[in-house]
Amino acid sequence: MDRLRRDFNTVTLVLIPLAIAINIAVGQLVVAAKVPLYLDSIGTVLVGLLAGPWAGLVTGLLANVIWGLSGLNTFATPFAIVAGVIGMMAGLFGGWRWFKRVWLWLIGGVLTGVVAALLSAPISAYLFGGVTGSGQDFLVAFFRATGASVIQATFGQGIVADPLDKLASFLVVYLVVRALPSRFLQRFPRAKNVSG
Amino acid sequence: MNPLTKLVLAGFLLVLGLAVPWPGTYVLFIALILPLALAGRILKPFLVALFKLITPFAVPMILIQGLFWTGGTPVIGEGPLSLKAEGLLFSAASIGRILILASSFLLLSLSTRTDILMRDLVQRGLPNQLLYIVVTSLQILPRLQARARTILDAQRSRGLETEGNLFHRLRAVVPLVGPLLLSSLIDVEERALALEGRAFNRPGPRTSLIEISDTRREALARIGLSVAAVVIFVIRIAWALVS
Repeated sequence: MDRLRRDFNTVTLVLIPLAIAINIAVGQLVVAAKVPLYLDSIGTVLVGLLAGPWAGLVTGLLANVIWGLSGLNTFATPFAIVAGVIGMMAGLFGGWRWFKRVWLWLIGGVLTGVVAALLSAPISAYLFGGVTGSGQDFLVAFFRATGASVIQATFGQGIVADPLDKLASFLVVYLVVRALPSRFLQRFPRAKNVSG
Repeated sequence: MNPLTKLVLAGFLLVLGLAVPWPGTYVLFIALILPLALAGRILKPFLVALFKLITPFAVPMILIQGLFWTGGTPVIGEGPLSLKAEGLLFSAASIGRILILASSFLLLSLSTRTDILMRDLVQRGLPNQLLYIVVTSLQILPRLQARARTILDAQRSRGLETEGNLFHRLRAVVPLVGPLLLSSLIDVEERALALEGRAFNRPGPRTSLIEISDTRREALARIGLSVAAVVIFVIRIAWALVS
C-alpha cells in the first residue's frame, strides 16, 4: 500500500497526462505518415518503466479511453485493457531490472508484443473482423486470401505487427531515458530501474 | 442535461447496439441515434465526424471480407475477383457494430465538455487525481501536436528524409519522437512542484466554483437506463450460451 502511494506521487501524476498525450500524438502522426506501426504505447511503456506496473496499467487504460472519448479515434477504446497490460508488463520488466541490459529490455519489448497480439486478436476479430483501417489491413487480407478464418487472420496480423511495434516502442523509450540526466531520473518512484 | 446522464445514455446505446443482431444496429442508428443527435443540435458535425471515422474502415472491410471470404458464393463479379455474399453479410454486421460504437462515443464527446463531466464525477466521489489526468491530457495534446510539427520542420530543414520509401519513414521516427519526448519531460519537475505547492495530492474534500445541474428525473432515468443495460447484457449472454 505504501509502495502504491509512493508510485503515484505527484511527479507520476504529472507524467501520466504527458505520456497519454504522447501516445495520442505519436499514434496519430504515424497514421498520417503511413508508417505501418501503431507506436501508440511509447508513453505507456515510459510510465511503466519509471513509475511501476500499476502506474503503467492506469496510463494504458486511460490513454485508450481518452483517445476514444476525444473523438479522434474511437477504435482505440476497446483495446484499453491491452494497453493497460502493456504498461503493466513494461513496469514488471523494469522492476526486474531488464532495462539495465539493452538486449534484455528489447526482448521484453518483443514479449510484450506477443502478449498484446494474443489479447487484442479476439477483440479485433469480434468487433472489427480484423480490419481497423490502419496500414496493416493488407496483412489481414493476405492471411484471408490464403484461407485463414477471421480470427486466424487477425491473430496472424497481430503476431507479425505487435512484437515489431512494441520492440520499436521499447527501443525509443530506451534511447530517450538514456539521454535524460541522472539527477532528473531520481525524481521518479522507480528510478532504480534505470540508474544506479 | 447533466453530463453523467449523457455518459449513462451513451453506455446504454453501446450495450444495446452490441447486443442486437445485425439488421438491428442500422435500425437503432436511424431510429434512436440520429434523432438524439438532432435533439442535441450536433447533427451536422456528428455526421461529418462519423463519416470520416467509418469510411477508412468500411471500405477495406468490404473489400477484404468480400474478396477473400473462403468458399463463399460470389454475388458481384466473377471468379476470384468477386465479392462473396458471406463476406458482404459479415461486413454489414461489422460495420453496423462499428457504427454504434463510433456513434455513442461521438454523441458523448460532441455534446459534453470533458472537464464538466469529470467535475461532476469528482463531486460524486471520483478521485481528484483522475480528473487532473484526464483534463490535462486533453489540454496538453494540441500543444504537443504543434510542437511535433515544429520538430518535424526543424529536422527536415536539417536534411531528415521523411517522405519516400518505407525505410526512410521508419528511420525518421526516432529523430522526431526523441526530441518531442525529451522537451516535454523537461518541465515535468516544475509542474510537479507547482501542484505540490497547491496541496494537490493531499486527501480531503474540495469546493468547486462550477455548479452542475441535476434533476430528480435525470437521476431516475440514469438508474433506469443502467438497469436496462444490465438486463440486455444478461439476455444477450444467455442467448449466446443457449444457441
